[in-house]
Amino acid sequence: MNDVIVRLKHLKKYYGSARGIKDVSLNIHKGEIYGFIGPNGSGKSTTIRTIMGLINKTDGDIYINGVKLDGESIEIKKIIGYLPSEINLYDDMTVKQALDYHELFYNKDLKKRRNELVKLLKIDENKRIEDLSLGNLKKVGIVLALMHEPEILILDEPTSGLDPIMQSIFHEILIKEKEKGTTILYSSHVLSEVSSICDTIGFIKDGVVIKEDSIDNIKKDNYTYLKITTKEIDKVKKELNLKIIKESNNEIVLLNTMNINELIDKLSKINIDRLLIEEIPLEDLFMNYYK
Amino acid sequence: MIKREFKVNFKSFLIWLSILIIIFLIVYLLYPYIITDDTVRNIDEMMKIFPTEVLKAFNMDIASIETAYGWVKTEGVMFILLITGFYSSILGGNILLKEENDKTIEYLDSLPIKRNKILTNKIIVGITYILLFTIIFGLFNYICLNLSGDFSQKQFMLLSITPILVGIPFFAFNLFISTFMHKTKKTIGISLGMVFIFYIISVISELSTNIEFIKYFSLYTLAGTRDIIANTTMNSLNIFISIGISIIFIALSYIRYNKKELL
Repeated sequence: MNDVIVRLKHLKKYYGSARGIKDVSLNIHKGEIYGFIGPNGSGKSTTIRTIMGLINKTDGDIYINGVKLDGESIEIKKIIGYLPSEINLYDDMTVKQALDYHELFYNKDLKKRRNELVKLLKIDENKRIEDLSLGNLKKVGIVLALMHEPEILILDEPTSGLDPIMQSIFHEILIKEKEKGTTILYSSHVLSEVSSICDTIGFIKDGVVIKEDSIDNIKKDNYTYLKITTKEIDKVKKELNLKIIKESNNEIVLLNTMNINELIDKLSKINIDRLLIEEIPLEDLFMNYYK
Repeated sequence: MIKREFKVNFKSFLIWLSILIIIFLIVYLLYPYIITDDTVRNIDEMMKIFPTEVLKAFNMDIASIETAYGWVKTEGVMFILLITGFYSSILGGNILLKEENDKTIEYLDSLPIKRNKILTNKIIVGITYILLFTIIFGLFNYICLNLSGDFSQKQFMLLSITPILVGIPFFAFNLFISTFMHKTKKTIGISLGMVFIFYIISVISELSTNIEFIKYFSLYTLAGTRDIIANTTMNSLNIFISIGISIIFIALSYIRYNKKELL
């Protein structure tokens, strides 16, 4: 699609023989919020740091705005706002000095947006960076990532350290950014955190993107839990050949990945006492990818 | 950004400059009390015991420590070169690497600024501080020596420049070494060790003509203080070599830093 703003093609990063990322391919479209989901150590931060040019890729391609990234690009950096998972700023500065310093690198007036964000996130500009709590430091990081009104926002675990109220305010800010046309890459290890605001989700496991789809399609997947009470447990296992979630004497819980017609057809061959079909919660679906 | 660099590096500049000034101030204040006719006689006796090679190593064969300026030409210049060496080496090893050590590089490198610009700013600040270090200390020394008696102004001027010939190559060399590291803890050890090793090489090289060649393996040879003290001239080749070494290591630092993984 021609509205792809960030495209990664078979991106690889190895540290000697150790795996950073094995094969990351993803497409982020203009104006969407892309949830980049994976457990700790799956390669989310490595992918992001490779996009940012902080570490060198071993192989693969990165395209931003259709331009293949090959070395440093000031023009690309100008349109990106980046919030690292662990924000480290200059300890000797006050928040005000840190924001003033940031402004020096952009040839435009950032005061208006800066003041809006400072007000929204309730930041005390007179505090010293070294005295800030993790949450307050994160809030300053959010202002730094957003104040130059970037076209692309790259957020690595942006809500870690933020209280629920601040998380909600932050999500409102992101939704408004999206409405303005900003493209957002939002990395997290908590699916429920991003599922409410994301358009697309990419799941990464052991350095490989294992699934990439719209949140609607993921929710539409025919994944359900089947709770079957029967005396023919062995037959159920053989006929359905599905992943067993729980099993007791006459009861078995399975993860159904079949379409409903196929399922009914197979179930008709079994003498079932009781059948319960439940929609699988998104969190369980997420866990299923990583088992 | 450059303004911030000056601010961040000012404290260490002040500390190292103060160390050198305090050492010299103590000597200048105490010298009139230490150097009496009796002590001069005792020193002369003592000097006769030392082999010429040892005296040569500390410029004592071509300068007398009977005056404050004499002390500057012998032990004083040794202190100046050593402390400038320490300061320049540590500055070179830390100025760039501190961003990685403090993990602020992730923020800095995400800003619309080229790595070359980051490096250039740091080099400008580093070299400026080494020049300021030499100039301010030279002025301090000049005022103190003026108060303590007569001395050769031309010779003093040339001696005062020598720390630059050593300091900038030390800075450039350590800057280059730092592009292979991620933590400043390691570079401090390397910086200090290197200054000691180069200094010891230059002292040992004076002990025997058979091993004189090893002086070419020390950056301290670039100071050429013996030429200045003996002939009041500076070997222009030393200036060219000092500039050459600095340019080479700075150029290598640019190449290496542009390829470096910052995290």
